[in-house]
Amino acid sequence: MKRAHLFGLLCFLTCLCSAQPKEDVIIWGTALNENSQGQQAVLREFQKRHPEYNLRAISMGAGGTDPQKLMTAVVGNVAPDVIIQDRFTISDWASRGAFESLNNLIARDIADPEDPLPKDYYPSTWQEVTYDGQVYGIPAEADNRALYWNRALFRQHAAELEKAGLDPNRPPRTWTELLAYSKTLTEFSPDGTLKIAGFIPNYGNSWLYMYAFQNDAKFISADGRTCTADSKESEEALQFIVDGYQVIGGYDKARNFESGFLSDENDPFILGKVAMKIDGNWRLNSISQYAPTLDYAVDPAPVPDARFKHLGRFAKDKDTFITWTGGFSYAIPKGAKNTAGGWAFIKFATSVEGRLIDSAGQAAWDRYKGRTYIFVTQSNKDANAELYRIYKPADPKLAAALKTHIDLMSHARVRPVTFVGQVMWDELQRALENACQKSLTPHQALLRAQHTVQHELDAYYDHTKHPELNLQVVFWSFVAAGVLALLVLVLLYKRMKLGKLHRHDAKWGYLLISPWIVGFVVFTLGPMIASLFLSFTEYNDLTDARWVGMANYAATVTSDKMNVWKAFSNAFYLAGVGVPLGIFTGLAIAMLLNTRVRGLRWYRTIFYMPAIVPTIPSAILWTWVLSADPSRGLVNSIWAETIQKWISLPAPGWLQSEAWAKPALIVMGLWGAGSGMILWLAGLKGVPRSLYEAAEIDGAGPRKQFLSITVPQLSPIIFFNAVIGIIGALQEFDRVYVMKPSSETAGPGDSLLVPVFYLFRNGFGYFKMGYASALAWLIFLIILILTAIQFKLAPSWVNYEADG
Amino acid sequence: MKGFYAASILCSWLGIACLLTSVYQLFAAKAALQPERTQRLKSALFDFVIGGGFFLLAAIIPHQASRGLSLPVFWPIMPFAAWAAFTFVVLALVEATNWAFLGSKKTPLYAIVWLMAASLFFWGFKASGDPLVFATGAIPLSIQGAVALAAFAVAALFAMAGTSNKLRLGGYARVLVTHLTLLVGCVVFGLPFFWLVITSLKEDRDMVSANGIIWVPKVQQTFSAMDTVPSIYATSFEGRAVKVEIMFKSPDSSARVNVVSPAGIQGLAFDTPLSKLHQVAVDAPEVTGKFKGLNVMGYVLEPFSDGRQKVKVLTPQGLKGQVFTDIPSNLEPLRKVGLRWENYSDALEYLPPEADNGLTYLKNTLLITILSVIGTILSSSLVAYAFSRIRFPGRDVLFGILLSTMMLPSAVTLLPKFIVFRQLGWIDTLYPLWAPAFFASAFNVFLLRQFFKNIPVELEDAAKIDGCNYLHSYWRVMMPQVKPALTVIGIWTFMGAWNDFMGPLIYINSPEKMTISYAAQLFAVDRATEPGLIMAFAAMSMVPVLLLFFFAQRYFIEGVTLTGFGGK
Repeated sequence: MKRAHLFGLLCFLTCLCSAQPKEDVIIWGTALNENSQGQQAVLREFQKRHPEYNLRAISMGAGGTDPQKLMTAVVGNVAPDVIIQDRFTISDWASRGAFESLNNLIARDIADPEDPLPKDYYPSTWQEVTYDGQVYGIPAEADNRALYWNRALFRQHAAELEKAGLDPNRPPRTWTELLAYSKTLTEFSPDGTLKIAGFIPNYGNSWLYMYAFQNDAKFISADGRTCTADSKESEEALQFIVDGYQVIGGYDKARNFESGFLSDENDPFILGKVAMKIDGNWRLNSISQYAPTLDYAVDPAPVPDARFKHLGRFAKDKDTFITWTGGFSYAIPKGAKNTAGGWAFIKFATSVEGRLIDSAGQAAWDRYKGRTYIFVTQSNKDANAELYRIYKPADPKLAAALKTHIDLMSHARVRPVTFVGQVMWDELQRALENACQKSLTPHQALLRAQHTVQHELDAYYDHTKHPELNLQVVFWSFVAAGVLALLVLVLLYKRMKLGKLHRHDAKWGYLLISPWIVGFVVFTLGPMIASLFLSFTEYNDLTDARWVGMANYAATVTSDKMNVWKAFSNAFYLAGVGVPLGIFTGLAIAMLLNTRVRGLRWYRTIFYMPAIVPTIPSAILWTWVLSADPSRGLVNSIWAETIQKWISLPAPGWLQSEAWAKPALIVMGLWGAGSGMILWLAGLKGVPRSLYEAAEIDGAGPRKQFLSITVPQLSPIIFFNAVIGIIGALQEFDRVYVMKPSSETAGPGDSLLVPVFYLFRNGFGYFKMGYASALAWLIFLIILILTAIQFKLAPSWVNYEADG
Repeated sequence: MKGFYAASILCSWLGIACLLTSVYQLFAAKAALQPERTQRLKSALFDFVIGGGFFLLAAIIPHQASRGLSLPVFWPIMPFAAWAAFTFVVLALVEATNWAFLGSKKTPLYAIVWLMAASLFFWGFKASGDPLVFATGAIPLSIQGAVALAAFAVAALFAMAGTSNKLRLGGYARVLVTHLTLLVGCVVFGLPFFWLVITSLKEDRDMVSANGIIWVPKVQQTFSAMDTVPSIYATSFEGRAVKVEIMFKSPDSSARVNVVSPAGIQGLAFDTPLSKLHQVAVDAPEVTGKFKGLNVMGYVLEPFSDGRQKVKVLTPQGLKGQVFTDIPSNLEPLRKVGLRWENYSDALEYLPPEADNGLTYLKNTLLITILSVIGTILSSSLVAYAFSRIRFPGRDVLFGILLSTMMLPSAVTLLPKFIVFRQLGWIDTLYPLWAPAFFASAFNVFLLRQFFKNIPVELEDAAKIDGCNYLHSYWRVMMPQVKPALTVIGIWTFMGAWNDFMGPLIYINSPEKMTISYAAQLFAVDRATEPGLIMAFAAMSMVPVLLLFFFAQRYFIEGVTLTGFGGK
């Protein structure tokens, strides 16, 4: 809890470890798949050169570790020694004190040729790993973005382009040109939908950042305390995006067009459905693999006209073209047990030699698989030069494209280095959406984003105003109170007038229930009190706790209103639609089975089986069954063959679309309706036959019988199911965690954000223990209210006669 | 020929089904009482003989047609008008049967009306000229074939209904419709399973198909050849048998080699003396193409990095042994209907080395589930026993507290529990996943208390007179009485522990301590581009639970009715 504590433990563990002949070096974030062959080569080489270490590389999910995983490890004192992490997140981690500063190590090894020094790196990449003057990671791979344009399409439309005064043999270089080219190259189908899009501003990998960087927008003040998301520069950039969509027929049209896009060999750029796009160098791989003959070129992305002509505020700016770079870096988490080993590995892996070994490993693999090897651009200048010398592709198109990307590295910008990076990203995303849909002007949209981000910043910088708490004291005082209460109880017991036999019985009674008593105190009562207490504090387990009073609860209805509301409304959607549908499906099957049909047991087994399939495999199965791509997903392929052909209704996007993500979960839930069916079957068997016979004599038809006998007789079970179902929907977690399409967000547009997931993310992802506890109590409260309402309403429609 | 082939496949499937039923009957006989027992043994023998017969048939029927045909997966693609016509015909049939067997008066009229509607739509369908497709991605059935199949299905349903002695309920028609609906339901519920199994046995190239799902997996035909480039050698690396290719030879009669299999260390390079390398045959893919104006079949000798392939001809005889090079679009890979079982072994090989081909995961998961089951049963029953039979001050208050904790969502205690386990130093250990089970769960205590209460007090009194103390009478008298309830609780706990995902997600950080469900999620993320492997892994992680289900189905179903929910 205290740093001194942690340090002591660290020393102790280091001592323990050094007693053994080989020290473990644990590395997280390496993937175990086809594209990690280079990484594996580096690991093997390091192991060979340093027999004193025992390297243990662990994949915790592809493309970087889940933030929650790393945070629990750091807090739980089982942190790895090295973490390979998206560079963009470094400042966030550093601000929470989760990473070690590398300054001392760099300074110590200044004589070592492998020592990473800022002069060897592109300034922007080094800037991204520096937070508050301290270096927290060493950059490795670096990507950047450029304009990909389809030369063949340009040639096809040469006449039209020339008519519009545009040169069909070169790409656009300014924003104005870009829009002019886009307008000329865009084609519409007779029904008004897009056939070929000249340029979709936010397709590929550009976002608002790319255009804003080109226009010199800054998103955060130099001291990091003020968010400046809404500036003249960023507004212009956003306006450009809006205009870009206008040129191709509007945002909605473009989004519809995009929803039909597939990847790999069906990439719309490869197929010539998109003439130009801004994308990263990783795209070269799929182009060379799936469309080696494609006539395309890669050039720097067009910039604002003023920048291109070096006018106005760009008069003194040397950079004509600007790109945006991201990538990976190697860092040491706080609490790493073998810092020395970790640092040795980082130095080796990020050195020019390490980078070359990485590339050689991947190159060998690609050659073995019969693919063209395209090296990954690096943050280290010399590494890039060497790589280009050794692995320059034979194909001149590819070589030129790579050269463009490498040359752009010196003109790269990075996302603002701030701990509110993720919030800023989310908010800018929202602003872009709002502006493009014209629900807000660029100014309004950006201003709103700025407010939200600023609120986060203020909360952080103001938190010192809250009084500090010593949790040790709090804990022991609670323990003391507990002991006191126990003493009182013992005293009361002693003073009770009980017979000898009775006392003997009582002793046995207490003895036998003691497992529950202990469990209750340690795992329920204690945590409950702790949770309630924490909900009034700000506590991240790495720094001291602060008493904030009701602020956490207030935040759920003020600053964080949007997310909380989203989470609960999603849960209510799942419950409101899913529970009745589930009851209906189960009841329908049960009623069919209750007609004394032969083979009941077989049918029952088949309908029940999906309900007992373990959650995780079935969630994995359903992510694929509900894949939006009709050439992969079971449901959509059937849909494309039937419904789409009959009534031309396109297949839904399921988990990849905002509107269909929750229905996807519900459909999957219906698959498990079998357990309900068993219950209904038992209930139906319990309905006296005489009731139906009497009804038949009275001339009641099947529908009448169902409504006035079956439903009332089953109402207690319906009621019970509804209660359990709603409580279950409010506690949904596993399926959402597995089925969300990307690890950063909870489904497209947060459409799968459910309360427990949000709590988990806050609690274990950011270790906002206080806020997460407040959320937990909010969930509890809502469950309580809902249950109370249900019980209140129950007497009016639930019929308990049958039980009596 | 195609028909023979389909019949043969069908026969072997039926054979497998019969044998499975036979095995099931044997198991059931073990548990059954006398008259039923003989009955079951008899039917086991019967099924066995029939199954054998089917296998024989499958072997006898010549199946020379080795490619080009898929199983008739019945997936009719009809335009709306055809569907409408079909529906009205069914309605007419229903009315007709009602009239024929139940003597209903008005129905012939309805039947005629439905038939007229049907013919109207049929005419519309004919006039539109829309295509009618059965079994997409598979064989296009002829109309006669479809009619025959439909007739067969109807006959089968009638036979089933005919054996039913519950005709009074509403006639054949009703039974037929019920069965039809149920069967459609079964198909819908079973389809994802089927798809899972099929996908887990497909080659990568069959995963994506623009013409709908590929239902009949095919595998590449291979030819065992020694002369392919690169040559593959068998050797050993750190005690493991590996297959390698030579990257380059060094002057000192050693070579730098590159591991090709097992998959887990693919791409690993090491140096080894040439004397330790033994060349092995390679399963080279077979292709067909055109060479010297003839259709030829051969195997790929060497793939070039620009995509071209060098092919050595196998047939026709005249050109055998000759070599030519062509681009892939002119070479059609030779594939046969078959299953790619390698997905399963590959999925295990691709796991990190600590996982020991997945055994570590299985071991961890079993450890957690077994300890949880033991812990839950022991602690919950002890506590429930005390609450139901022993009188002590404060009992009712404590029981009230216990009941109220059932309402508490686990989310509330999630974070503080983490702090508790962290203070205990239990992060990245398996303890947090099973230790709490030894402290009794409220719901199980509540359930068991109901059962204990129903046991007559006299039983226990008798034991007490024999000198038993509470522990004795709990263990000897009470526990045997509630065995069914304990089994149900055991099964629920098993399922809960097996399914637990959030626990490992929070507490487990290293591969050697991972459980199956967490490993499955990580695997699905890691191998996102290889659905075959993912599905194989998912299928394997389902198997133990499904096995438990088949052998203890009765308790599962009892459990649902006992507790009121499905354990999910």
